[in-house]
Amino acid sequence: MSNHDQFRELIESYALGALDAQERSAFEAHLAGGCAECAKALEEARWLVSQLAYLAPNAEPSDILKGRLLQTVRAEAASDSSLASASRGTAVPWWLWAGVAALLVFSVYSAWNTRRLQEGISDLQRQAEAQRKERAKLEQELLTTKRQAQEAMIWSDPKSVKIKLPAKDPTMPALEAMWHPEMGICVKGWKVPSPGEKRVLQLWLIPKAGKPMPSMTFWPDADGTFTAMVDHPPVGLVDTQALAITEEPMGGSAQPTSAPMWLGGVS
Amino acid sequence: MFLAVFSPKGSDDVSPDATLLHRLLRKDVSAFEEIYERHSRIVYSLVLRILRQGSTAEEVVQDVFLQLWRNSAQYDAKRPFMPWLLTLARNRALDQLRLKSERQRRREEQTEVFPQIAAAAPEYEQALDEKRRAERVRTLITSLPSAQKKAIELAYFEGLSHSEIAAALNEPLGTVKSWIRNGLLRLKDGLKARS
Repeated sequence: MSNHDQFRELIESYALGALDAQERSAFEAHLAGGCAECAKALEEARWLVSQLAYLAPNAEPSDILKGRLLQTVRAEAASDSSLASASRGTAVPWWLWAGVAALLVFSVYSAWNTRRLQEGISDLQRQAEAQRKERAKLEQELLTTKRQAQEAMIWSDPKSVKIKLPAKDPTMPALEAMWHPEMGICVKGWKVPSPGEKRVLQLWLIPKAGKPMPSMTFWPDADGTFTAMVDHPPVGLVDTQALAITEEPMGGSAQPTSAPMWLGGVS
Repeated sequence: MFLAVFSPKGSDDVSPDATLLHRLLRKDVSAFEEIYERHSRIVYSLVLRILRQGSTAEEVVQDVFLQLWRNSAQYDAKRPFMPWLLTLARNRALDQLRLKSERQRRREEQTEVFPQIAAAAPEYEQALDEKRRAERVRTLITSLPSAQKKAIELAYFEGLSHSEIAAALNEPLGTVKSWIRNGLLRLKDGLKARS
């Protein structure tokens, strides 16, 4: 008996599910090998085995089972129908397209408007900066005007005391100062040479008793002109013996480091 | 898995089933109801014979028909329907049977009685043919020696293997193998000769 014949004898029992594990595995391996004859015979055997169902005594399921089944099936059919309707309903309606279009237009408008607003903000910022500069300029002009007015008042007020500051160097121009007991000291000079590099001119108040009191530092402009204002002198007019100007390092000094270039007594 | 079943041309698979299955694919509830009316009795009879308990059998039958309803697209309409349905029902019932413990099953066998034995097959167009074939199957198998008939029934309704049947009947393994194969071949010849 060939291998094929041996397997042929197993077909009906395989269709019945009665083969033990070893024979079942062997037969399945034979089928997997591509035996068309056994495959065809197996289909016939399966049909034959199914006919054994008629050996079962006739019995009838209850009406309850039928009712339960039909109820389930109808519910699922209705659900499927609803899903199908919903699926058909997923086609994009015209109003949704309209909404998308409106949203697109709005987005474009928003982008354009944002850019326009940004440009507007930049303009406003530029305007604000210009106004700030203008205001600073006006404040500076106001301050200058105020200083000029104060200077003019100091120079014109009868209560002011005029102080002459002759230069120690006869080639240097003399300076003049006016001291108002309430508005402070104003010192002016013309054609004054600039101090050396990193040097400044510094005003000193020499009290009647004690060491020279440091005051403001200043530079003459390109023409040698300068006006120095001291709003609140550290020493009073009556207690001051003289004014002096020295050349000091940049930033000024607490005590004179050089001989006075200009010196004038307060009478 | 559904499709790996059956075949013979000109079998009992008839056009009414094919038409109903075609409608079933479109989720036609009335088609499902017709299929149920046509085949629920034999399916239930088979499952009840295997499980021997009415309520469990109805649960399995319900599963089988719901599977048909839900997965009808998986069924190959070129193949005969009834063998497919009966094989599905048998497999489901045997799976259920194997879930039970041996002790529980024995207790049920002692207390359960077959419920609602049908008096006759339904009066449909194909009912007579089916009834006749059922009678032939019964006649052919009944004509076998009782031990041979018992061996075939243990294999088909209990899902036992050759060696399990040999042990149950206290017969040699080779004898059991021959009984089963020869019995099925006799059934095959008998159905051919009378069809």
